[in-house]
Amino acid sequence: MGEPILDIAGYSLDYATPSGFTRALDDVTLAIARGEVLGLVGESGSGKTSLAWAIMRHLPKSAREAGSISLTGQDLLKTSEAEIEAIRGRRIGMVFQDPSTSLNPTLPLGEQLAEVLVRHRGLTRRQAWAEGEERLAHVGLKIPQQMMRRYPHEASGGEKQRVVIATAFACQPECIIFDEPTTALDVITARQILDLFKALQEETGVASLYISHDLALVSQIASKVAVIHRGKIVEQGGVGEVFARPRDAYTQRLLAAVPRPDHRLVEAAPETGDRPLVEVEKVSVHYGRKPFLGRLLGRANTQFTGNREVSLSIKPGEILGIVGESGSGKSTLAKAMTGLNRFEGEIRFAGRRITGLSDMDRAYRREVQIIFQHPDSSLNPRQRIREILSRPLALYGEPRVRKDAAAVGELLEQVRLPASYAERYPHQLSGGEKQRVAIARAFASRPKLVICDEITSALDVSVQASVIELLVDLQKRFGTAYLFITHDLNLVRQIAHRIAVMYRGDLVDLVDVAALSGADLHPYTRSLLAAVPAPATAAA
Amino acid sequence: MSPAYVLKRILLIGYTLLVVSLIVFAITQVLPADAAVMMLGENATPDALAALRAKMGLNDPIWMQYLHWLSGVLRGDLGVSMRTGQPVAPAMLEALGRSLLLALFSITLMLAVAIPLGIVAAVRRGRAADLGVGFLSYVGVSLPEFVTATLIVLVLAEWLQWLPATGYVPLTEDPLRGLKHLVLPVLTVSLILIAHVSRMVRSELVDVLHSDYIRAARLKGLSKRQVLFKHALRNALLPTITIVALDVGYLLGGVIVVEEIFALPGIGRQLIVAIQARDLPSIQAGALIMATTYAIANFLADIAYAWLDRRIQYD
Amino acid sequence: MIEILRRMLRSPQGALGLVIVGLILLVVIVGPAVAPYDPEKMAPLTRYKPPGAQFWLGTDQYGRDILSRLLHGARATVLLAVLATALGTLVGAVVGTVSAFLGGRSDEAIMRTVDAIMSIPSLLLALLIVNLLGKSSLNALFAIALAFAPGMARVTRSVALSVRKQDYVNAAIARGESAAFIVGREMLPNVIAPIIVEMTIRVAFAVMLFATLSFLGLGAQPPASEWGLMVSEARRFMHLSPWMILWPSLAVALVAIGFNLLGDGLRDVLNPRS
Repeated sequence: MGEPILDIAGYSLDYATPSGFTRALDDVTLAIARGEVLGLVGESGSGKTSLAWAIMRHLPKSAREAGSISLTGQDLLKTSEAEIEAIRGRRIGMVFQDPSTSLNPTLPLGEQLAEVLVRHRGLTRRQAWAEGEERLAHVGLKIPQQMMRRYPHEASGGEKQRVVIATAFACQPECIIFDEPTTALDVITARQILDLFKALQEETGVASLYISHDLALVSQIASKVAVIHRGKIVEQGGVGEVFARPRDAYTQRLLAAVPRPDHRLVEAAPETGDRPLVEVEKVSVHYGRKPFLGRLLGRANTQFTGNREVSLSIKPGEILGIVGESGSGKSTLAKAMTGLNRFEGEIRFAGRRITGLSDMDRAYRREVQIIFQHPDSSLNPRQRIREILSRPLALYGEPRVRKDAAAVGELLEQVRLPASYAERYPHQLSGGEKQRVAIARAFASRPKLVICDEITSALDVSVQASVIELLVDLQKRFGTAYLFITHDLNLVRQIAHRIAVMYRGDLVDLVDVAALSGADLHPYTRSLLAAVPAPATAAA
Repeated sequence: MSPAYVLKRILLIGYTLLVVSLIVFAITQVLPADAAVMMLGENATPDALAALRAKMGLNDPIWMQYLHWLSGVLRGDLGVSMRTGQPVAPAMLEALGRSLLLALFSITLMLAVAIPLGIVAAVRRGRAADLGVGFLSYVGVSLPEFVTATLIVLVLAEWLQWLPATGYVPLTEDPLRGLKHLVLPVLTVSLILIAHVSRMVRSELVDVLHSDYIRAARLKGLSKRQVLFKHALRNALLPTITIVALDVGYLLGGVIVVEEIFALPGIGRQLIVAIQARDLPSIQAGALIMATTYAIANFLADIAYAWLDRRIQYD
Repeated sequence: MIEILRRMLRSPQGALGLVIVGLILLVVIVGPAVAPYDPEKMAPLTRYKPPGAQFWLGTDQYGRDILSRLLHGARATVLLAVLATALGTLVGAVVGTVSAFLGGRSDEAIMRTVDAIMSIPSLLLALLIVNLLGKSSLNALFAIALAFAPGMARVTRSVALSVRKQDYVNAAIARGESAAFIVGREMLPNVIAPIIVEMTIRVAFAVMLFATLSFLGLGAQPPASEWGLMVSEARRFMHLSPWMILWPSLAVALVAIGFNLLGDGLRDVLNPRS
């Protein structure tokens, strides 16, 4: 291994707040050599993004620093702002998390690439555009000439991220920081971007700092890994070593929390002889209405289909997973089943036919509950937890269910929260705690089916693991069936009995979880399976 | 921007003007118990009242009166002034021309001052320049036009005697004197607009400067100046177009007061005169012309916005 | 409530707004009682006095004490502005909520009509209405309320729609709650805060609009001590005594600034997540 390109030694960062300093990074020491990829893994708030800003010298005025960050021997902390401007984009590049917000919406994509070439390599605009086209072709964009002239809203997420990557590589920098570059993308697109990253990395040998919350992903692309927790690097070393023999307790917990399809969390499927609890029969949902003026001008119908004749059934106590990318119609189905969307077709529940909102009476509502993705939005910010939880008790209350404070306390304890939380407001709780409250609300009526709509996708992996464990536990205790909607194939393979795959409004596959390794699958399902990174190779 | 969008906006203007004409007609003609009494006064002879009613078509059903009036409006016939006996339309349009001159000067001055002020305040956020601009714009939006105008007259015309306080001289007659008479009204109107727009520019620009793509541009190694002028401003100024168009409505209201104070014979002053004289055709025409001006300004702003910001197709 | 006040006092804007509006309300309540002179008592010997020990703010063309007139006029100006805004808000909130609730084509039709009405400048609309109803303070109140209603309808609708999209409302629907419960318990508490903020800021506009109407001779009538009317009357004597015109102008400005500051302060404080 040669001289390190990026060398961080004893670096600490504090932010001044009205109530004193808060530590963001604590004695961080890292080194990345040419040709190396260092994966920096941590959960939200761990300080991983602060480190990226520190390296890029993009810190607020309230920052206080100690230690050093060196780029091929030059200490960036002691470099003047003018010199830093010359280094950024030329010697250190950066790829951002969300291409839809990191590109200027009012400038053509080509301009945003070419301006870097003009600035750092002194090309004329004409030269820069010509070179820009080459660069775009190089990152696998099929029509570089047109793409240069397009605006961000005219390109897909994957195309935009390719432009961002081309920009980062444009001046052949020595070091590039990748800040979760695939998190905002769909699974299959993310896989393609990852392949592009690997190819460019091998070709250029750039020293890469790859920041991610996703251990499985890092284990595939990095040569070294550093785990960051509350501003401290708790463990670092070669990928194989850290994943196989994690020494630090936090790393061990983190690894254990990663969903692993071979590590099943639920018992075998309930007896197949059971009559289905819910049957969804040819349910279709159409969004939008025909624009009045469009009709006037004889335009084609622009109505967007959310679901096309989806049919499935759920048995009592069964966990049915639904996977698909965003916009595939997963949530649309959930909303149809809870009366939030109009639908065609019918739903049969406990022998009754339900063809619309009016058929969903109190009994149906009590038996079928839904939990939403964002607890921030699903808990009313102006109600205390007590009010939120006592509502379903009052609504579906049976004589045997008590409605007093004790009942709310029991609900909270059921989801492993202290009963004293009843007097708090949602904003006084953490994300994971809020989602537990939402779960408690759904279980207050002892439902037979709970629809979980991406309920863990806003949570960190360790919080996700504890929420999943809670759900599995509740399922065992009450025999509740789940319709578990997610984009995380590894997660759903851990807990689902059967898996439905949705693609652009259609249900393309509905198979037993064991059959996912079989051959008889829809092409989309197969490409989805191929795109998902296999989790870290280690014992949990 | 699709042709359908433009067509939709044009249809909307038509609808807007229809609603406005209904409101104006309702307020001025239908609701007063007897327009003839209103115009001739309580002491008019029954014969005179009857003659006027017949002349004005007041004996027809109300909807007939409206349609009659509307068809006149559509043919460009806004009626005859009860005060002067002259056709209303030419007088009103001439007055509108003077008001538009006032508006044009005011908007130009406003843009020249408000945008730089907003930029300085946003870039030097939290510092003395920002607080100064913030304080001035707060005071500016909190002063009614008549107070601003009064204070300006008090200082510039009364104490310092620099400029004439009232009156109007056409620019074609004597450009220098004409301009001198326009200075104080333009100053009043633009001060209020500056206060409003500089605040908007500041807050839009502060938001934009905090966006991911601005950070991304900085981290590509672009200088602060490049980032501000090439990346940030175009995004911050786009919404300002809409704000300026909405301000035209405010401007039109303010123009009524400002023209009255400075005795500038624009459409606002014509309206006040008409209201005081209970000259119904003139009131109707003035109100309709003002609303039309506003609707057209908004339409142009929407079209400009859609053209500049290619992201929106329909609202 | 105490908590809101405490947090208001912590931001400079909120604190200043609270102090100014507090003082104004105090003047509205006790102003006439503490006024040193009768606001309508004429004194030919003490005309056009500059501020001094006897008349703190000077006297006007009839020798009336300006301070006493201002203290008495606060009720006419501020109280009517608050009432007009409240009335306009109520009408606007009902229209906006109904429009958001109906949705679809009815919503579009209502909002397009509201937009159309808003293309008449509010001062002009108020002028036309006063012209129709007759010159008086009460009619000016109705005119301002009507002129504000379309704008408030727009604000209410957009707030109601954004709340309507929240998952806690979806959760209530999925739970099978009644429409009354959803609107009253889930939506309203979240809709009210932004409306109160908007209303506070609009009081500032109402004060200005009301004074302007009086200034144009269409609101309060002489010898009332309404501030806009005082400015209007003082204009003719500007060269004799600038104080006569300065004080009521500053009073109008101070009230408008106070309510603007209070509104901005409330906006920050009423956000439950801040």
